[in-house]
Amino acid sequence: MLRLDHVTKHFGGVKAVDDVSLCFKEREISAIIGPNGAGKTTIFNLINGFLRPDSGEILFKTKPITGLPPRRIASCGMGRMFQDNRNFGTLTCLENILLAKKGNPGENPLNSFFAPGKVRRFENSNLKDARKWLDFVDLPNMENVPAGNLSYGQQKLLAFARLMAAEPEFLLLDEPSAGVNPTMIGHILNLIKRIVNDEGKTVVLIEHDMSVILKVTDLVYFMDDGRVRTFGTPEDVLADKRVHEAYLGI
Amino acid sequence: MFEIYLMLGLSLNLLLGYLGLLSLAHAVFYGVGAYISALLMIRLGMNFFFTLPFSALGCMVLALIIALPSLRLKDDYFMLATLAFQSLVFSIFYNWTSVTRGPYGITGIPSPQLFGYKVSEIWQFCVLGFIFSAAAIYVCKKIHASPFGRTLKAIRDDELLAVSLGKNAAKFKVSAFVIAGGIAAIAGAMIAPYISYIDPTCFALDESFFIITIIVIGGTGNLKGPVIGTFLILLIPEILRFLSIPDAAAANIRQIIYGLLLILMLRLRPQGILGEYGLNKILSPYAQT
Repeated sequence: MLRLDHVTKHFGGVKAVDDVSLCFKEREISAIIGPNGAGKTTIFNLINGFLRPDSGEILFKTKPITGLPPRRIASCGMGRMFQDNRNFGTLTCLENILLAKKGNPGENPLNSFFAPGKVRRFENSNLKDARKWLDFVDLPNMENVPAGNLSYGQQKLLAFARLMAAEPEFLLLDEPSAGVNPTMIGHILNLIKRIVNDEGKTVVLIEHDMSVILKVTDLVYFMDDGRVRTFGTPEDVLADKRVHEAYLGI
Repeated sequence: MFEIYLMLGLSLNLLLGYLGLLSLAHAVFYGVGAYISALLMIRLGMNFFFTLPFSALGCMVLALIIALPSLRLKDDYFMLATLAFQSLVFSIFYNWTSVTRGPYGITGIPSPQLFGYKVSEIWQFCVLGFIFSAAAIYVCKKIHASPFGRTLKAIRDDELLAVSLGKNAAKFKVSAFVIAGGIAAIAGAMIAPYISYIDPTCFALDESFFIITIIVIGGTGNLKGPVIGTFLILLIPEILRFLSIPDAAAANIRQIIYGLLLILMLRLRPQGILGEYGLNKILSPYAQT
């Protein structure tokens, strides 16, 4: 589904990502783990086009997407959830989700004047789907609340719902469980499993919570200093001595 | 007068309120619209109403030319780029004397005529202005309710996130700029026959600031803001006149009041009286509301 081939990215003299090759299979949940500064988020930025690799190639659904602008990569079906909660704070929850759907004819201002019927029809079906996603993540009665007024956990759910409404096939989730309480973590993990099992999505996580890794992932890459040190099933990787060293210092 | 500034306020709101873009070049479109319309009427003897499409289209093209390089810059640098365009166009008005007659201005701009009916009395201009501003409100209302308007606000809130959802942020910004330029051009075309004399100082930097003041006081990101802002801002000179303060002093007092209002609003209510979006975020991105 997604392959990175010998991808390298330098920031000045620092090799943030150094000759990394990764492969993510369809309908699987994979994870990238590693200490801070290992280059995990940089990998995400390279995949969705915020950064351009110095060398190497990225193939998405066998097509090269290396160096394409982020919006192009997004329209190929790549979705991204950010580490820090990002939402459109002054827009309501419903508006946040309505935004996500691609190919909205109402985004051309001329259509609002010369093809109002087309805009209205799209908006109606969009509205139905948006409510469905709000229900899916369990944010009831929040439709008209500005996103900025939600709690941290609720903002994560909203970001997730918006991501799903964009109908990506491939989801990059940067620390979906960070900063939320254990009940909410369980809820978020459930949602991730459901979208993979029921909707056939492919998910890559960046995670620090090892219990999360053990519960949901099929494949784990361990990164340190910009390189992939080991990979395999979560049990194998977590048993690896180098992983212990990096996380526990022993 | 009210209708003209209402149109200017509404159009700048598309940039300042919906996109959080502080453009100092709004008087450029106002001025170019006025000059195009006035010159076509005087030099070619065209009917006022036929000059409107030329004004609007001319300014939309100009908006495109200004927007493309300016929008590559962020925040304060965008503001400086628009300031540069404002100064540039002002000096063109001032120095291209063969066309604009420079500081002498253009005199004797004829009144609009429609089917032999002449718009010359104040109340007739009011009706005409009312029709134009109603059209501008209609356009802005449509945009406000449309997915286009929603996406503009999303780009204002978090451009990176909007891009990650596949939105072409640059295209949305340029479109808003072009629409705003077109509306401001019509306002300019209106002012020319209304005061029958235009010169470059009508469209100088302080005019851009004046339009910004309307939005800052009235409010950002919706339709009510510019309406209440225009009303209050134009009310102040009338109050001063009512208090029978001599003209020379009144002009200065007016400036002091505008300045004070700007500072107070930004300090106490950065989203304006009826606005949605705090303008303090434009100048200090880390400010919390």
